[in-house]
Amino acid sequence: MAELVYEWESLESKIKTTLREAAEKLPKRIYEELIDKLKRTCQEYGLTPEEATKIIYNVVREYELSMIEPGEPVGTVAAQSIGEPGTQMTLRTFHYAGMREFNVTLGLPRFIEVVDARREPSTPIMYIYLDEEHRYDENKAKEVARRIEFTRVVNVASEVSIDLINMRIIVRLDPVMLEDKGVTVEQVKKVLEKLKLGNVESDPSDPLVLYINLPPTESFSLIDLQKKKDKVLNAKIKGIRKIRRVIIQSMVNEEGKTEYFLVTEGSNLPDVLEVPGVDPRRVYTNNIHEIEEVLGIEAARLALIREMKDVLEEQGLDVDIRHLMLVADIMTQTGRVRQIGRHGVSGEKPSPLARAAFEMTTQNLFDAAARGETDKLLGVTETVIAGGILRMGTGMVVVSMNPATLIKGTQKSGSEQG
Amino acid sequence: MAKQKKFNILEHELVPEHEIVPPEEAVKILKELGIAPHQLPWIRVTDPVARAIGAKPGDVIRIRRKSPTSGETIAYRYVVGY
Amino acid sequence: MIPEEKSIREIKFGVLSPDEIRKMSVTAIVTSELYDEDGRPIQGGLMDPRLGVIAPGQICPTCGNDAKSCPGHFGHIELARPVIHVGFAKHIYDALRTTCRRCGRILLPQAELDRYIKLYGRLREKWPLLAKMLVTVVKKRASKVMECPHCGEKQYKIVFEKPYTYFEERAEGKIQLSQFEIRERLQNIPDEHVQLLGLDPKEARPEWMVLTVLPVPPVQVRPSIVLETGIRAEDDLTHKLADIVRTNEKLRELLDSGAPQRLIDEHWLLLQYHVATYIDNELPRIPVARHRGGRPLKGLAQRLKGKEGRFRGNLSGKRVDYSARTVISPDPNLSINEVGVPEEIAKVLTVRVPVTPWNLEEMRKYVLNGPYKWPGANYVITPDGRKIDLRYADRKRIAEMLSPGWKVERHLKNGDIVLFNRQPSLHRMSIMAHIVRVLPGKTFRLNLLVCPPYNADFDGDEMNLHVPRTEEAQAEARELMLVQYHILSPRYGGPIIGGVQDYVSGAYLLTSKATLLTLEDVVDLLSAAGYRGEIPEPAILSPKKRWTGKQLISLFLPEDFNFRGRARVSAGVFACENEWCWNDSFILIKKGELLTGVLDKKAVGAEQPENMMHWLIKEYGSDYARYVYDHMFRMFIRFIEKRGFTMTVDDVALPREAKEKIRVILHEAENEVYEVIEMYKQGKLEPVPGRTMEESLELKILDVLSNARKRVEDIVVNYLDPFNNVFIMARTGARGNELNITQMAALLGQQSVRGERIHRGYRGRYLPHFRPGDLGAAARGFVYSNFYDGLSPVEVFFHAAGGREGLVDTAVRTSQSGYMQRRLINALQDLRVEYDGTVRTPYGDLVQFVYGEDGVDPMKSAHGKAVNIDREIERVIGWRT
Repeated sequence: MAELVYEWESLESKIKTTLREAAEKLPKRIYEELIDKLKRTCQEYGLTPEEATKIIYNVVREYELSMIEPGEPVGTVAAQSIGEPGTQMTLRTFHYAGMREFNVTLGLPRFIEVVDARREPSTPIMYIYLDEEHRYDENKAKEVARRIEFTRVVNVASEVSIDLINMRIIVRLDPVMLEDKGVTVEQVKKVLEKLKLGNVESDPSDPLVLYINLPPTESFSLIDLQKKKDKVLNAKIKGIRKIRRVIIQSMVNEEGKTEYFLVTEGSNLPDVLEVPGVDPRRVYTNNIHEIEEVLGIEAARLALIREMKDVLEEQGLDVDIRHLMLVADIMTQTGRVRQIGRHGVSGEKPSPLARAAFEMTTQNLFDAAARGETDKLLGVTETVIAGGILRMGTGMVVVSMNPATLIKGTQKSGSEQG
Repeated sequence: MAKQKKFNILEHELVPEHEIVPPEEAVKILKELGIAPHQLPWIRVTDPVARAIGAKPGDVIRIRRKSPTSGETIAYRYVVGY
Repeated sequence: MIPEEKSIREIKFGVLSPDEIRKMSVTAIVTSELYDEDGRPIQGGLMDPRLGVIAPGQICPTCGNDAKSCPGHFGHIELARPVIHVGFAKHIYDALRTTCRRCGRILLPQAELDRYIKLYGRLREKWPLLAKMLVTVVKKRASKVMECPHCGEKQYKIVFEKPYTYFEERAEGKIQLSQFEIRERLQNIPDEHVQLLGLDPKEARPEWMVLTVLPVPPVQVRPSIVLETGIRAEDDLTHKLADIVRTNEKLRELLDSGAPQRLIDEHWLLLQYHVATYIDNELPRIPVARHRGGRPLKGLAQRLKGKEGRFRGNLSGKRVDYSARTVISPDPNLSINEVGVPEEIAKVLTVRVPVTPWNLEEMRKYVLNGPYKWPGANYVITPDGRKIDLRYADRKRIAEMLSPGWKVERHLKNGDIVLFNRQPSLHRMSIMAHIVRVLPGKTFRLNLLVCPPYNADFDGDEMNLHVPRTEEAQAEARELMLVQYHILSPRYGGPIIGGVQDYVSGAYLLTSKATLLTLEDVVDLLSAAGYRGEIPEPAILSPKKRWTGKQLISLFLPEDFNFRGRARVSAGVFACENEWCWNDSFILIKKGELLTGVLDKKAVGAEQPENMMHWLIKEYGSDYARYVYDHMFRMFIRFIEKRGFTMTVDDVALPREAKEKIRVILHEAENEVYEVIEMYKQGKLEPVPGRTMEESLELKILDVLSNARKRVEDIVVNYLDPFNNVFIMARTGARGNELNITQMAALLGQQSVRGERIHRGYRGRYLPHFRPGDLGAAARGFVYSNFYDGLSPVEVFFHAAGGREGLVDTAVRTSQSGYMQRRLINALQDLRVEYDGTVRTPYGDLVQFVYGEDGVDPMKSAHGKAVNIDREIERVIGWRT
């Protein structure tokens, strides 16, 4: 038995050729991991050059054995690998995922949402990370949160009523809500003035009560007044449209520091990216269409993978990421996010038979007839319908043999031997 | 509030590196794959990233993706005008 | 010599022109009568023999074939007036509103049209998707133009009323367009313009979508059934066609006699209705055509549509011969590769074997045994292709005649390969190949280890069996589909086959430190496992020779196998960080020797990636894995049989002390809940941000109660004997978990419906046993009792409510996820890996440049990674670290 070597450098020099060979055959990432781990093992337990060579040899062999074989029907395998655990997913729409402040759609309904490529998730959510300045201070994070949260008059008012006698709208503000949303009475006043319903004045005795004096020109109908009141209630004070609520969460980041970030109910990616204090590079939303529109198809592909992975992981289901990648790739194939279904991937297949066998049978047949389409019988469904052999797996191998030449060949070789 | 510069989407962590492949190289790639350009996955000219890097219909774009399985991987997309 | 194989290269779709319909027709159908008084079909009726024969023995007057080979021939009906083909109503609408009502050209300037036509020509071949988009754009733009740029004719807005009525919105009001006018307008559209509307002028001129001639399908498509009473029942299509002919003849009569326009229009409309419902009888806004009995008639569309329709029911999925189905039952003595087939079934399922000089004697024996004695044969096929039924033949004589060149349909026998399947077939492991073992009894038998991939149990499950018939199919089944090649799941790269329930408990008990075996035990266990070899040195020599279970396991491990890893029992007080640990829950295998640790679910269980079995399979191959599953695993159940394993109520009985502690905890929790409610009532409760007061209260109460339940669980776990059988099952992962034990021993805890405490029922309360508005724990479904002591009636009711939700949930979920899976399969099924490692569709589109971005097969990966380097290092030096 050869000596155990504890110094990496001296071991490295002894197995140089093997390492070089491995470096050629292995992907960079695996090779680096191998070197790193060999080094550590060598320092901890010692390694003989023979052992090291054997390890490297095994790694290369295992890597080569793990490659996929040509003809593998990876699509079907991916679909099954995702669909099969679907039966084990929960159906409960609402679930508290770490936060109890609002509900998040999870499990099967969310997964279906993703593969359906819905325009809007049923519970849109954004994860907003903050820039260096605001990241580590809860108060500064709150500042950003207030900038983002969509606040209307209704959110800070305790009462809005119509005073028919004096022809004015009374807005009574709630001090607690003002404090919570970080809004001053002045701000509200300004907003109300902008509505141009009439001049706004504070109650002399109570600063929290504002009056909008309506110009006494015309006689208002009640419906008209009601409309005006609604306008007051819905007047935007600040924030970003569609972001209904913002909460602050904290986590320990890679540097080991406590970092604050924001989670929002509602999603509006383009506007949030431009908010000061936000780290726009890391803003994330679960609305895939927004990502597609703002960040492009490649980002949408990544978001699809991430959303599917998150749902499955949360449900404790173990599905290889390669399957999810394939789904994301076919969904983003044409440069936009397509649905897995009749209006997307399946509906855009070139084969009329495949489309007819999936959904809307007659509709598809009539369309195919009108367009004078031709089915080349290439895909799986068409081939099955026509009774052919699938060009997958062993069926992909096309060897044709002319028995006549075979007979000639055997006669020839036979005569040679004879 | 000072109007700051609009955020450059190419810096976003979800956006991998895109670059336009020079035509002669694109031809080589397509030949190696044995396909016509339209058989590549597509990217629309109106795609924000395609616009940001100034791609035109007919270009092939190389995408350097960060991969959870292999570290880094390269993909191509064909720019389509729709 | 070798018959030329005919294959379909492509299928062209199109619309039949009236000329084509007449050309392929053998006769015009002119009368709605079917038979004369003698019951013979009438010439020119719908059952005209020239349309084809279906009764055996008859000869077709058209083609001269007998019923077996006559393909059937179309007839036609000359419609007295044109009618809209409902399937194309939408296409007609599009054509009408985008073209000029006078000159028929698309309502766009000529220059623009030329450009589009050129563009379309280029896009059509290579970019069908973009071509489709162009068509949509053209349609959208043209339909808005109100004056023809070609001839200047003023256009009117066309209104389409489903299913087949069109109006023009003129100044004087809505004017209905007659089918004549529509057809005329469509006829005017020039070919290029037709193309730009997305239609193919060669295969489908738009005017052909207004029918003037209706094809009549041959009788083969609509056979009549003769009931036992001798009455003929005609097919739905025949009924519908008779309606059409009747109306058509009547209409023609009226036209000829110059009847009033109103009457003619009425019959025209009726004809349109009949033709429409003949094609599709589920059209919106018109009454469904019914049978005399009130049953809706099946139109042509109904035959094709839906799950049981022609497409999904007969073309995508087919019924097959050479298959069997029966109940399954377990048999641990079979190999995982085998399936036990009842003799009765083996006598029906057959394999066609060519007779050769080498199997001649064997085949003779089968022929002599005949169809009723196993192993026999059911048919013999002579070299000229005649099939002789051995039930009625002189078997002795045929056995003598048997010689090479003949073929024998022999019974299924041991060693044959068959496919075995359990529905729902959710993944590829739902159909695997097994080797036949013909056994007495009436059920299929299978090894318990293959239950997880099939998701089978034995509470009445049935499974299907198929016999592959050709040599190619048999070889592929044997080499690719055999169970041993599917131990690793492509879903996550880990073993899906493995021990469940008693296998896990058995493995644990056998390898536990407390197990010492006598020579007798060892011999018994090893012979049960089919071990052939030396018995190892006993671990204890004196005072008496005793072996440990670990020694026996080691006999089945390869000599160079190293492994370290935690067992599942390594948790809580039994946790082990490394092998130097009293609790014996860290598995250490060096050079094929199980040194410490017990085997449990983490080592031998199913669906546990990166466990001991996973590495054994990956590193030593599937043949070896099969050997381990067939032999070592048999030892586990043999041991559990010898030792005995059961569960008693006493296993979950808690001592008085523990019960007292639980009582205190629950009392505290109860008080806490009341405090919270009190705070809520006074409005002092601090709300969770973004939630209402009520929601906050519910959250708070749920929190308090679930904390209490957790504390109780800790007490239960502490007080129960960790080596009682119930607890062993929970700890090893054989069955059940700590929550289940707590529910049996201490309390059931909160029952919930839709994630909330149960509250819907009477006003302000769930049951009349509570005060209205009672928000306390008990009133809203917190069950204090346990299964050991029993539940109070009210608690039972709560429990049932929670349980019902679970059942409903499962039912809904299966249908939802089933549909999702169908869509996923449909979208992805065409993808395959090419020789260059890319993933492409058969239509030539490239989807991935390298499969999975690294080209690794998830099934062959180590739980997703191409190589697990730690494991590779361990393999080599694990024996000394």
